[in-house]
Parts: sequence; structure tokens; C-alpha cells
Amino acid sequence: MATTTAAITLTSSDLLTNALALSASMTLYQNGTTATGLDEVNYHRANIPTGTNFDLIQDSAALSEDASYVYIINKNTDVTDYVIISINSEVIGRLYAGDWAFFPWDNDLTDTEAATDPSGNDSTIEIQAVTHECVIEYALFHNGETLLTAADS
Amino acid sequence: MATTTAAITITSTDIMDSPLSISNTSTLTTAGTNTGLVETTGLARKKFASSSNIILLDHGLTSGIAADVTADKSAKVYIRNINDRGDGTKYVNILLAAVEIGRLYGGDWMFFPWSGGSGKDVEFTASDTTETTLEYMVFYE
Repeated sequence: MATTTAAITLTSSDLLTNALALSASMTLYQNGTTATGLDEVNYHRANIPTGTNFDLIQDSAALSEDASYVYIINKNTDVTDYVIISINSEVIGRLYAGDWAFFPWDNDLTDTEAATDPSGNDSTIEIQAVTHECVIEYALFHNGETLLTAADS
Repeated sequence: MATTTAAITITSTDIMDSPLSISNTSTLTTAGTNTGLVETTGLARKKFASSSNIILLDHGLTSGIAADVTADKSAKVYIRNINDRGDGTKYVNILLAAVEIGRLYGGDWMFFPWSGGSGKDVEFTASDTTETTLEYMVFYE
């Protein structure tokens, strides 16, 4: 097993009357365990062209009912550039240039997406760039995924 | 305008052959500008002991933040399950409208952009009726 930690710090000296200094840290554990860390990761960098809503992280039978965590950052610098993050066509929100998100992802699937069944998408994380092409980096921390059988196998 | 920053650090020395170290800081701004967000719900805490679906952030609340959190505005949500991890089987499902985002086990946190709109409440459903405490905060235009 691996030990992976994710920490957040939210700070502001002038949003509220008193200074905001909030921090939290967590270890990424496997579902149903007290101290067994997730031991697999996919870490990517991609250019997302405008005009199309793409599958970013596909659902997978092995990810179902498990503990997985997703990190996404928009690396563009033009403040008007953003990507729309969705799960199964439900828009979660927009990541503008420099924005990041970190959230747990439960692959709550009843119909697994596959090369032969691209419509079987009920948990896939989707992304669409608006204004300009966006460079994003994203990571999925997980406990195993089901790889598609090669078409020529 | 205010200056609020959100920093994340993800580290591991053994999930890959080489150490993993991700670190980034973003400044929370209004949509498409360099102007800092100036409104917040403040940090809130909610205790519950129910496995029913419960609205945490009600987009339809007339006197709430509905008018300020819309699809074309900028909003960020922080949620943390501050329970102990326990045996690792208890969690809170976080949903946007009817779509499940993921599970927050004890000690877990999440930070995500929130695109508001009709029916786009942030909701949660606990895995059982164990008393659970969530802390949450919204930053918005």
C-alpha cells in the first residue's frame, strides 16, 4: 500500500472581519479500511480544444462503490478561459484559469461505458473548454480500474 | 475586493517509483476576471443522524444565495466530513442535484466549483444513521 496525503489551505486577510485560515489534511485510503492507502494513480496533462464535451475520466466497473479521488487544474493564464466539469451531463462547475478542484468520485454505475457501449455513461467525468483551448492537468487516485479488452486481442 | 487563496498539496513517497508532489495555489476570483470574490457563507457546521437525502446548500432558497450562485458566476464549495474514519465503512455521499459526485469518509474534504441553477442543490446522504458532522463553506460573487 501507499501513503498519499492531500491538504488544503484556505486563507484570506480581508474577506471577513477576522482573518480566514482554514486547513485540512487527509490520507487517501481504500474503501472499508482503516489504514490501507490507495495504491494506484493516473496523472495526466492534456490540451482540451473548444467546442466538444469530452470524456475525461471514464467510469469503470472496478472503480464502482470504491474510494477514488480526482484532482483537476486549469493551467491556462488568461482569466477568461475556463473548462466546464460535468458528471453524466450534470454540470458541476467551471474551472477558470488557475482554478483547481479536488473531490471524491464514486463510480456509481449501472451501465459501464466501453468501446462497444459509449452510451453506457452514468459516472464519467466530462470536460469542455470554452473561449480557448485549455491545458489541464488531472489525477485520479484509485484502487484499480477495469481496462478495456483490446479490439484486436 | 478581497484576496482569498486556496492551496492544495498532494504528496506521496511511495505511490509511484518517484515521489509525487503536486502543489498549486489559486486565487478565488469572479468569473473571467482578476477581481476577488467578496461573499461567503462563512464556515458552517451541521450535525445529523439520518440516512435520508438532505439538502446542504439549497439553491432554491428564496432568501439564500440562489441569486448569487448561477451557471455563469464563480462559486467554490468546501466540505469536510470531520468524523473519525472509524472502521472505514461509514461515509457521506455528496450529490449535485440527483447526480452523485463521491463519498466523503471520516476526515475527507473536497473543494469544487459550483455552477448553480434551478434544482442544483448540493445534497448529501449518509451511509447510515451514525451521527455525522460536516463543515462547509461557500465562496461566491
